[in-house]
Amino acid sequence: MGSYELSLVTLAAIYAMLALSLNLITGFCGQISLGHAAFFGAGAYAAALLSKSGGPFVAALGAGMLVAALFGLVVGLASLRVRHDFLAITTMGVGFLFLGFVRKQKALGAELGISGIPDHGLGAWGLALLAVALTVATAILSLHIRRAWAGRAFAAIADDEDTARTMGIDVVRYKLVAFVMGTAIAGLAGGVFAHFTRFIIPDAFGFTVSISILAMVIVGGIGSTWGVLVGAVMLTLLPELFRFINDYKLLIYGSLLLLVMRFAPGGLAGALAPLFRRAGTAAGGAR
Amino acid sequence: MNRRTAIQFMLAGASALALGGHRAALAQQGPVKIGFHAPLTGFAAADGKSAQLGAELAVAQANAAGGIGGRKIELDIIDDQGKPEQGVPVANRYIGEKHPVVVSGSYSGPTRAAAPVFHGASVPYISAYAIHPDITRSGNYVFRTSFMGEVQGRAGAKLVGEMLNKKKVVVITVNNDFGQALAAGFKEAAPKFGINIMKEYFFGMPDRQFGPLVASVKADNPEAIYASGYFFNAGPLVAQLRGAGVNVPIIGQEGYDGQKFIEIAGPAAEGVIITTSLDRDSKVPETVKFITEFEKANPGAKVDMVAASTHTATRVAIEALKKAGLTDRAKIREAIAATDMDASTGHISFNKLGEVKKAVQNQIVKDGRWRHHSVIDDPVLLAPPES
Amino acid sequence: MLQLELTIQGLINGSMYALMAVGLTLVYGLLRILHVAHAGLYTLGAYIAVLIANASGSLLLGAAVAIPAVGLAGMAVYRLLYEPILDRPPYVALIASIGLFIVMEEAYRLVFGPYGETFSTPYLAGRLAIGPIGAKGAEVLMVIAAFGLLTLLALLARRTRFGVAWRATVSDPAMARSFGVDTIKVRYVNFFVASGLAASAAILVAVLNNLVEPTMGSVPSYKTLAIIVLGGLGNVAGTLAASLALGVIEAFGTIYIGHLLDRDAIAFLFLVLVLMIRPQGLFAAK
Repeated sequence: MGSYELSLVTLAAIYAMLALSLNLITGFCGQISLGHAAFFGAGAYAAALLSKSGGPFVAALGAGMLVAALFGLVVGLASLRVRHDFLAITTMGVGFLFLGFVRKQKALGAELGISGIPDHGLGAWGLALLAVALTVATAILSLHIRRAWAGRAFAAIADDEDTARTMGIDVVRYKLVAFVMGTAIAGLAGGVFAHFTRFIIPDAFGFTVSISILAMVIVGGIGSTWGVLVGAVMLTLLPELFRFINDYKLLIYGSLLLLVMRFAPGGLAGALAPLFRRAGTAAGGAR
Repeated sequence: MNRRTAIQFMLAGASALALGGHRAALAQQGPVKIGFHAPLTGFAAADGKSAQLGAELAVAQANAAGGIGGRKIELDIIDDQGKPEQGVPVANRYIGEKHPVVVSGSYSGPTRAAAPVFHGASVPYISAYAIHPDITRSGNYVFRTSFMGEVQGRAGAKLVGEMLNKKKVVVITVNNDFGQALAAGFKEAAPKFGINIMKEYFFGMPDRQFGPLVASVKADNPEAIYASGYFFNAGPLVAQLRGAGVNVPIIGQEGYDGQKFIEIAGPAAEGVIITTSLDRDSKVPETVKFITEFEKANPGAKVDMVAASTHTATRVAIEALKKAGLTDRAKIREAIAATDMDASTGHISFNKLGEVKKAVQNQIVKDGRWRHHSVIDDPVLLAPPES
Repeated sequence: MLQLELTIQGLINGSMYALMAVGLTLVYGLLRILHVAHAGLYTLGAYIAVLIANASGSLLLGAAVAIPAVGLAGMAVYRLLYEPILDRPPYVALIASIGLFIVMEEAYRLVFGPYGETFSTPYLAGRLAIGPIGAKGAEVLMVIAAFGLLTLLALLARRTRFGVAWRATVSDPAMARSFGVDTIKVRYVNFFVASGLAASAAILVAVLNNLVEPTMGSVPSYKTLAIIVLGGLGNVAGTLAASLALGVIEAFGTIYIGHLLDRDAIAFLFLVLVLMIRPQGLFAAK
């Protein structure tokens, strides 16, 4: 694998982490967020600052997670007030507020961002492997949560918040848990991203990034860990496949969102599930 | 979307695919390839298009003159959407393709992210018009053929405070790296030219309606206005300022540079002065040739700063390859560093950091065209940082 | 005096928001979808108008063709994209709509080029003034058009038979159907009217800025979502109030706190603060 392929693997893994982390909030717990890039950005900025002040790479990643999680907790608390589409637009507002704030902070480099972020020392292979390992860990965590009690509580809240409450589920606590976990992982992805590009500017964490993360979740198949994983990798790498038709790259991306939603509204996971099920019954029949 | 349009999209995709494959096949037969990335889609697509036209003209001219040692030159173009996260994969892609030199026709985001990767792989990299101050600090394989934002901001201060002798100035800044750098340079040099900055306003790149800002500037009653931004901001801004009866001089910079600004602002554009890199009334043969050949190659289009800067950057790359050959990157780097030539943007050379040294061209709108106003050739004021 | 001018400018911008957002909130009220591609239809209106105006020399002709054409395009978007996925969760339509919006923006860029179109003769560029307070002709027309078109809409909804059917469908589709209302027809008319309003907003913006570009819908695409949420999602009067309020807040904000926050952040700070106090928006839906 050349360094080009490695950088694509790293980038795809970062986006997969982001999509999986949003899936915890949106897919599992039913809380639509249109501002996930803000937590990605918070993590990236925190990690970049710590790294630049001489902190080790691991500590920088930890700082990214911590800052994003604290930010996530605040937004999670605020989001308890609003529901459904009101929540979606509130999180979108949080994204724009984050961006507007960062743009004007001299300590964060304002519009010029932070450049010269120190080398992580792992080499291209090392960083790609780390990103993939973290993605796998996130996927395993997702699968585990899905099966655990927390996953059932999330699902109940996603299904109908009021019913969940009458069933005795501590809705507030579980919502906050989902927000904090999801945003912490987004912050971790931000830390990796900051050391991948070694240069961050506010525009890297804007509304379009939030949208593309949500698109990965929904095109992949909301709530499905495997689907989201495939969706994220596909939407990150697909434009690369169409590199040679530069001019049509975004057009193809948009058409893909449109066509998948129009003809496979359950996302890739929804479209592929019957195939697996059929394979499953066939295998069952043979037994 | 109905089925027919869906099929049309697929056909468009398929034919483009076939075309792409064809292009890749040709590459095997031995043209010299120069990497070139620009924002062909996304928010900066207009500048990306101009950049591509400028670079393609430089290549076409070189090929008409015999290419490099008889071999044809070809651009390997990638769209980076102006996004910083695209910088690293784009750089690695070119490094993997083993191109001898790469030109950025893009904004600061992708260029700043790509620069250290190129330096790390010892691939010479020339940024045409990205303004982030740290781009060339990535290492000595990185060069820039346009002014840093700060340098141009200082030139703007001299133009306003000394050449036009206006002292009470309102600064209007676009919210991005470009605007911030220009404003920093302008403010730094302002006291030297006796300029009193009354107030600074900000707007975002997508803004086209400036009603509140115009009302407030009118109330400030300045002697001149220094405003950053791109043609799509500046056109409506200037028209709205003039429409509201604000008739003091408006000083812009290279972001305005292009015929589209004049089209948008209409008669209100008359008298606007900018600091830029391209002199339309230049007698320098290289510049004259660029302007006539650009307009011949692109009927209906007019040259702009982005096309000229990218043309210059691409020519610097080609000339270096002619001198140093295609294989030894260290020699190519040295050849670029030793550049001393007339280009479409004037006479250029580089300093130790890889920053360009050249004069600032001031252009004024007269009768619906950009024309020569004056030149700022003050090596001390315009000195880019050495490290 | 400056404050008065800022308020006027805010109301002008708010009128533009209103023309866009009222259509969007009508779509939401009827179908519960966030119709982002509304902003793509908006841009389509500006392109049709500028091309016809430049070819024929008549802006009026451009507008007369563009507004119904975009109305029809809006109906097509409903029929081909939304109708088949109406029974799906709302985020499906949201992502589909975003996809369509991207496709439209890219199609405009590929067909018309990235630099944008301008009017070959500028329209309404003159200034109308009363004493020291004044505005551009196009700005005055913006306010008049918003006021006129939205009054017409209110009359349609309140005074006509169809308006009754329309309002009945919005408040309870099943009930309306059982009373013999053709709810499908209501939806088509709804999309036609909403898209036509967006086109008229776009034409006014195009005249005001003398610029039609592929990306001119990008800011309205998300800003109007904020407005309809502020207005209580589906509440037309609330949307109108939210549009004007946001216009004024942005006008003052960019001048007085523009060095601390950019325009979008100011708008969304207002949105978040309002929602923290009133989670259902300034005005509840019903």
